[in-house]
Amino acid sequence: MQNHKALLSTVFREVIEALAFMFSEEVDAEELPASPEGYLRASMSFEGAPCGGLDLAVSRNMCPELAGNILGVEPEDERVMQKAEDALKELLNMVCGHVLTGLAGEEPVFDLTVPTIQSLGAAEFAAMSRREDVATLLVDDYPVALALNLSVEGQ
Amino acid sequence: MALNILVVDDSETVRDIIAKTLMMAQVPVGELYNAANGKEALEVLGEKWVDLVFSDINMPVMGGMEMIEHMHANDLMKTIPVVVVSTEGSATRIEDLKAKGVRAYIRKPFTPELMRNVVDEVLGGFDNAES
Repeated sequence: MQNHKALLSTVFREVIEALAFMFSEEVDAEELPASPEGYLRASMSFEGAPCGGLDLAVSRNMCPELAGNILGVEPEDERVMQKAEDALKELLNMVCGHVLTGLAGEEPVFDLTVPTIQSLGAAEFAAMSRREDVATLLVDDYPVALALNLSVEGQ
Repeated sequence: MALNILVVDDSETVRDIIAKTLMMAQVPVGELYNAANGKEALEVLGEKWVDLVFSDINMPVMGGMEMIEHMHANDLMKTIPVVVVSTEGSATRIEDLKAKGVRAYIRKPFTPELMRNVVDEVLGGFDNAES
């Protein structure tokens, strides 16, 4: 199974910097700090050549800051709290588009689903981040894990 | 001359980003309308004068492609330029969109400079808007 960790990490860093002016660095899973407030996982899938899905798990507390940076308002602003999860979904959406270009080039056409969000517990986040093919990053000290799941034919 | 602009995207965050970027790009916006999908957008277009549409492709209820097809079937709506704003990078899809009448394509994330250049190119300069 081909490991796309480097692609995931590079794309994520570039997109979040351009979108939200947030800087990130790739770290080992063991270096990720715990998030007592819990985690959120945004997921989406794609059909094309290849087919698969992309999961982005982040500290719950990162989302208001992400939304605030995107919108240019303080994280405590009421508008930010309402849009925090939507901002995470849009971040995943943008990362997915660029990951697919990195994987398959600019010719293939992909059909993407609308991202969904789930809460994630500490154990689930740890299990996800420790997978060998998962990119783990720190974004302003917030833990992030990004996983690409390709169908068998696409690997 | 101020432009009436319609932004079509199921993500409120993206609609806010486009609004903010238009302001940063100093595009002269008169009325800014929002729609969460193609169906809502067609309702707005049926009621309001719009100079330019920014639209996503993948949306629930009615996507961007279907919305564009409906616009082209309407004698008045088909004259309104549409700029697709999407995360996709497929050159094949972009060519397909342009063959269906989309005037330009902006890939997310985007800068205010790119936004201004696209608006300027699509409208042939802001003063040429018909509102």
